[in-house]
Amino acid sequence: MATKTFLQAINDALRLEMEKDPNVFIIGEDVGKFGGCFGVTQGLYEKFGERRVRDTPITESGIIGLAVGAAAAGLRPVAELMFVDFIGVALDQLFNQAAKMRYMFGGKAKVPMVLRMPQGAGVGAAAQHSQSMESWFVHIPGIKVVIPSTPADAKGLLISAIRDDNPVVFLEHKVLYGAEGEVPDGEYTIPLGKGDIKREGKDVTVVATSLMVKTALDAADVLAKDGISVEVVDPRCLSPLDTDIILKSVGKTQHLVVAHEAVKQGGAGAEIAAVVAEEAIGSLAGPIVRVGAPFCPIPFAQSLEQAYIPGVDAVVAAVKKTLA
Amino acid sequence: MKAAIIANPISGKDIRRIVAHGSVFDNQEKVRMVRRILVGMKAAGVEEVLYMPEGYGIVPRALFDLDPHEIPASIEPVDVFLHMTQEDTVNSAALMEEAGVAVIVVMGGDGTSRAAASGARNTPILPLSTGTNNVFPVMIEATVAGLAAGVMASGGVSPAEGCYEASILEVLVDDEPRDIALIDVATYNDIFVASRAVWDITRVKQIFLSRCKPDSIGLSAIGGILESITPEEPRGLTITLDPAAPRRVRAPIGPGLFAEAGIGAVADMRPGEIVPVDLSPCILAVDGERELKVLEGQHAGVRISKDRLQVVDVERTMECARRKKLLGLCT
Amino acid sequence: MQQPDKKVLLDMYSTMTKIRLFETEVQKFFGEGLIPGFVHLALGEEASATGTCAALKPSDMITSTHRGHGHCIAKGGDPKLMMAEIFGKSTGYCKGKGGSMHIADFNLGILGANGIVGAGGPLAVGAAFSCQYKENGGVCACFFGDGASNQGTMQESLNFASAWKLPVIFVNENNGYGISCPTSKSMAITNISDRSAAYGIPGATVDGNDVMAVYEAVSEAAKHAREGKGPTLIECKTYRWRGHFEGDPCVYRDDKELKEWMAKEPIGRFKKTLLENKVATEAELEGLKKKAEEEIAAAVKFAKESPVPKVDALLEDVYA
Repeated sequence: MATKTFLQAINDALRLEMEKDPNVFIIGEDVGKFGGCFGVTQGLYEKFGERRVRDTPITESGIIGLAVGAAAAGLRPVAELMFVDFIGVALDQLFNQAAKMRYMFGGKAKVPMVLRMPQGAGVGAAAQHSQSMESWFVHIPGIKVVIPSTPADAKGLLISAIRDDNPVVFLEHKVLYGAEGEVPDGEYTIPLGKGDIKREGKDVTVVATSLMVKTALDAADVLAKDGISVEVVDPRCLSPLDTDIILKSVGKTQHLVVAHEAVKQGGAGAEIAAVVAEEAIGSLAGPIVRVGAPFCPIPFAQSLEQAYIPGVDAVVAAVKKTLA
Repeated sequence: MKAAIIANPISGKDIRRIVAHGSVFDNQEKVRMVRRILVGMKAAGVEEVLYMPEGYGIVPRALFDLDPHEIPASIEPVDVFLHMTQEDTVNSAALMEEAGVAVIVVMGGDGTSRAAASGARNTPILPLSTGTNNVFPVMIEATVAGLAAGVMASGGVSPAEGCYEASILEVLVDDEPRDIALIDVATYNDIFVASRAVWDITRVKQIFLSRCKPDSIGLSAIGGILESITPEEPRGLTITLDPAAPRRVRAPIGPGLFAEAGIGAVADMRPGEIVPVDLSPCILAVDGERELKVLEGQHAGVRISKDRLQVVDVERTMECARRKKLLGLCT
Repeated sequence: MQQPDKKVLLDMYSTMTKIRLFETEVQKFFGEGLIPGFVHLALGEEASATGTCAALKPSDMITSTHRGHGHCIAKGGDPKLMMAEIFGKSTGYCKGKGGSMHIADFNLGILGANGIVGAGGPLAVGAAFSCQYKENGGVCACFFGDGASNQGTMQESLNFASAWKLPVIFVNENNGYGISCPTSKSMAITNISDRSAAYGIPGATVDGNDVMAVYEAVSEAAKHAREGKGPTLIECKTYRWRGHFEGDPCVYRDDKELKEWMAKEPIGRFKKTLLENKVATEAELEGLKKKAEEEIAAAVKFAKESPVPKVDALLEDVYA
């Protein structure tokens, strides 16, 4: 066990899997000597060489397509898009090719690839470099969507993602890269589709993802002072979604808040809210309240960006609303 | 008098870009060349131009960017049905000859020039290089080519003054003339025309040359190592290749592609004298392109034609035009 | 390049014949309403598929297109499984879940037909990358049409493959039309091979209806790729006899053009050469044709008699 940043934990996972499996390789823009736009792949080029850590041209379709084709031909690519926002120019390779190959080819294809994409606001990167896009991917059968919130989770989930025989979208909040936490040494896996209780509580369940888990935990601290006990559930994967852990928690607390940084309208939180409404509305003692970003592009100016990102206050208000 | 333009949209695209290092001559460049030719022709007083239509529309595209006053007044396609094959060049050239054009500017490689010459045997041609193995066509500035064609079309310089007469080869199958070649005919050990180009010297059994010189490219470069024959000389050369022969030469038979060949019998070809093709079945390659099938039981031969081809010598034409004060004098 | 031996030549004849017969049957059954969805037939384009795949090794890979039946047959696909798939039967290549546009057989290196125009390019880049990565000497042929050549994905793939010297053979089947739109309206060039120059790779245009021309060009391109020299762009000029899809009224082209191209029909041309040169006798070729007919008839019978997928298969194979 050592204290590591979220970034180091991901780097660890990549290194371990590359040491273990010669079929694992990394491609992306500036992932080589440069070490990745955010430094995630630092040192890997030096360790594994250009054959396995390779800079691509700026071609998101090409990067994802290469990963899909190479995975179909038996390799285990880990591809990086510099920002999730760039998925728009390449979505076909993910949702029409990678996601559907297995099904439309009658179960004979395997596409074991990981697509790592930094997302999230908070660094003044404005409308085309700050979005949280997880709901897009959740809507696509055939891919898995992983969205870790802690360094330890990131490492274990990424190792699982690399070993998984399906295309996995791995979403990393760029503000989390510097977040520290205890990370177990060596290799370990966290199963995809298993959520985690980040804080136990009895009055209200807050299901949060990615950086919003930290916001929810901070909100829980604030609410604890008012005598409100918050349970924070981190599903860690949005597809497959650990509905059991959510339903179980809601069964206990009878109140649900769903929080994410992505735009609230049509967000992944709506899916979670819907699952609970369908499966457990009888056990609810208050309305389901969602926390998400307002329905507008992400602004540049710091004052506006901070107003855009749902913060502790928003979660506190949501909890109070469902308990009212 | 009229001038004509044949611009082959497919020249410079064959497999020699894969098996050798052939240049890529894209059609946009041909469009720009046609502009320069037309401007050159107009400067020499040409007002009527016929051209070969084709799928790309090289000439129409050229016109798009030109002011009407800088080009000939009438620029019309010949009325030919397009097969999108080499036939289009043959048929267009024939129609141009019928229409009485004074000169045909042919843009392509050796293959295109051959097709044009076979359609218009009695019209001077000015072959401009845009192809692969360019022995016959010349690499000169298209503006000057337009000017030279123009002074000939305007009657200022006669073919006798501005052309050279080139020997050509005739191919006969079962005694019937079937095709011509401007530079070379090769007996190729294959039954398929396939990708047409000739690059595998081990399959070449005989070479017939209408001309050769050491600074040539293609099969005539092999002859060019042995001796020089100018296009004007009324003779040719036939070489039998023999892998076991002690006499060996190494020559550039394609762009960036050298091949070694054993030289067997070498003999002069006299006009009219038919030299038999000694392999059947085989494919006969003309000017570097596999073209004619010779089936088992058929006999084929090659001869230096008694007819000769009039080819515009740009330097000679322009020199003559200067002497006659036809050029660029602004009084 | 060595002259292919008789077996290779006769295999090519059989393959083209099989494609022709297969497509003719699909056309018929689609017309009779026995085949749902869309089908895009490659009648008239048998030579480019056949010449390409004959020049590849069994372990080499291909990516295909929406007009992919011919590619699949040429790479060794089983007509029975293909026909059953096109009929939407559980015995088909994809258990009836893919249909005409999604037939794949990874064991034969067929990485799938594709319903998205131009999507095969990046996949071929990836497949070729796997060959380079594993240093197994393999290549991937990427079939794409004239329409696809205008997609960004194809341009990106050409660039990617050339930058990394990946063993991709880009086989462009230029049939002159992207659905109804002639190439004269969709691009400012006529020869798609011209685009190779922009990526610093060799490009050539061949007669796409001459199976030997395609075979020769792809053989040389494969050699080039296996030697580590990178990708090649080969443009095969061809023509589809049918519309873009079955049911296309073809109002955008005239009969004269079709007739002209039908005169350049690939199988008859090849057969003539084989007979003229006594590579095979009329009886031998008839025998091969008969065998192909039997194979396709058996495929039709198999497809017709096969069961439709059970509804409980709906959720199978979404994930591995």
